[in-house]
Amino acid sequence: MSKQNNSFMNWLDKRFPVTENLERHLTKHPVPKKVNFFYIFGALLMVIFMVQVITGIWLMMFYTNTEEGAFASVEYIMRDVEYGWLMRYMHSTGASAFFFLMYFHMFRGLLYGSYQKPKELVWLFGCFLLFLLMAEGFLGYVLPWGQMSYWAANVILSLFGAIPVIGPDLQVWIQGDYVLSGATLSRFFALHVVVVPLLMIALVVFHIFALHEVGAGNPEGVDIEKHRDEKGMPLDGAPFHPYKTFSALPAIGIFFVIFFAIVFFVPEGGGYFLEKPNFEEADFLKTPEHIAPVWYYAPFYSILRAITFGIPFLGITSKFLGFIIFAASIAILFVVPWLDRSKVQSIRYKGIYSKIGMILFAASFITLGYLGTKPVNELRTLIAQICTLFYFLPLILMPIYTKYEKTLEVPERL
Amino acid sequence: MIRYFALLLLIAFCGKLLPAGESECGALESCTEYKADVHDLFSLQRGLGLYMNYCSSCHSLQYLRWNRLQKDLDIPENILKEDLILNPNVKNSDYMTFGLNSDDSTAWLGAYAPDLTLRTRVRGESWVYTYLQSFYEDASRPLGSNNLVLQGSSMPHVLSSLQGRQQLNNKGELVKVSEGMLSEQEFDNAMQDLVNFLAYAAEPIRSEREKNGIFVILFFVIFTAVMWLLNREYSKDIK
Repeated sequence: MSKQNNSFMNWLDKRFPVTENLERHLTKHPVPKKVNFFYIFGALLMVIFMVQVITGIWLMMFYTNTEEGAFASVEYIMRDVEYGWLMRYMHSTGASAFFFLMYFHMFRGLLYGSYQKPKELVWLFGCFLLFLLMAEGFLGYVLPWGQMSYWAANVILSLFGAIPVIGPDLQVWIQGDYVLSGATLSRFFALHVVVVPLLMIALVVFHIFALHEVGAGNPEGVDIEKHRDEKGMPLDGAPFHPYKTFSALPAIGIFFVIFFAIVFFVPEGGGYFLEKPNFEEADFLKTPEHIAPVWYYAPFYSILRAITFGIPFLGITSKFLGFIIFAASIAILFVVPWLDRSKVQSIRYKGIYSKIGMILFAASFITLGYLGTKPVNELRTLIAQICTLFYFLPLILMPIYTKYEKTLEVPERL
Repeated sequence: MIRYFALLLLIAFCGKLLPAGESECGALESCTEYKADVHDLFSLQRGLGLYMNYCSSCHSLQYLRWNRLQKDLDIPENILKEDLILNPNVKNSDYMTFGLNSDDSTAWLGAYAPDLTLRTRVRGESWVYTYLQSFYEDASRPLGSNNLVLQGSSMPHVLSSLQGRQQLNNKGELVKVSEGMLSEQEFDNAMQDLVNFLAYAAEPIRSEREKNGIFVILFFVIFTAVMWLLNREYSKDIK
């Protein structure tokens, strides 16, 4: 049997490099032996991506992408399709889980300098993935055609309308109509199920290829490639398969325990995962009292709302300035590899300013997230403005403090 | 490691502290907390009875099918046909569409009577439960009744024959001015039945979902344990 197998593999390998790639990416790819729990989120993101794709395909079989039929088709899935409710809850919970894992994955990157030379491209592809995930989430959120779907989409699309000169025409071009309507719904459906997922799959592949070229990091920021054994395997490393694949499985198990606890017992997530107004069909004539984004957009939405002033002499309205700052809050993440001038990678060996900066950044992000789900008042706007400042400052000042602050000596081995 | 878990716990706790919506109970400070029980079959059947007698003349259940209701609530075929559907042109597999059409409703009552299939998910179970108990007489309203939870509600107090008449005292609290067919406790139970039924209508699978979820979770607990043991064996190689 094994001989047959080998001859089959030989035949295959001469025509398609199966073994070479398996060895390169799995069985001989070295990864650091000792990492902490922050390093599991990448694997979990792969799992949740697959969950979303598979459940999405099933939902697509029964969903109707028309203004008249969308809302009813979701109820049809929930009631008449066998296990349709499970697919739908897994998909809606999966969206929240995707962002939750993504934020932790990126925070890990910031903490342990997973963007530093030569990992700039890994980080860049990851940032593009965040951007695509946000687009994907937004497009998908419109599809059930509930009240909040409709009005939240209106708020976001009106941002394009705020761009000077081309804005109003651009908004009509994106919507495909003068108002958000069935025309918008069907193009959002096409983008949500085909265009964005395809781009995401491509970028995931790039992300992983780039990572396997430069090697995975570790919380110490130690370069494991420096010390190798006689076979060329790093002394502090182990092959990805079976060691890392099997160490990920218990974590995936724990993740699914939590995931399915939500799916089966609190699928609405207290109104955070499935919002109450979305159980009512979109009504063009009835604006909800309070339009709130889903929790995972709340930090960015908060930044958008915090900008209550424009630059009149440049003709920039507060809405447009808000849009610029909102876009900048995501764009700035792309340039982090060039902002950090530190000699060390990990926060463990960086100086006090980096530590304070990271705490301020994380605290602002969480506070902005909380404020984004609440209606505005004066105090909340003020806090949001302060938090916006502390979201940007640690990143903008990074080139200065990382260059001059005192760092600790990084050990040779893990 | 422990610090990270403390951070995670803190974040989870923040979510608990800060519910998504603010108080939405109209003139009342907060709604009476009520969590529907969709596992009590008799309660759901009683709730259906109340719904058909008191709600169905105006409010439809447009996403629920008669035969789904029959299966889930264990209703015999003859009762479904003769006492519930009533109309020989309606098939068992049809949706429960009945009640006022929106033009008539707007002309007669001033507002359309909303479809109630998903109402408990839009408003919340506590809201509906409190709303049903908070009608009072108000001569300034066209139909002579108002509601503390939804001020200016166009819905008349259709349950007054069961609950009795209520008025507001000087402090703005509800007081009973005449007895209905049911005692206070009986009426409260009846409203629980009705909300339970509405919660069922909003999500017919809920009872099954809550019953079966534990097995899925149990499977992943065992999966985690086995994988943990397997990983322990593997990680011995690279110690």
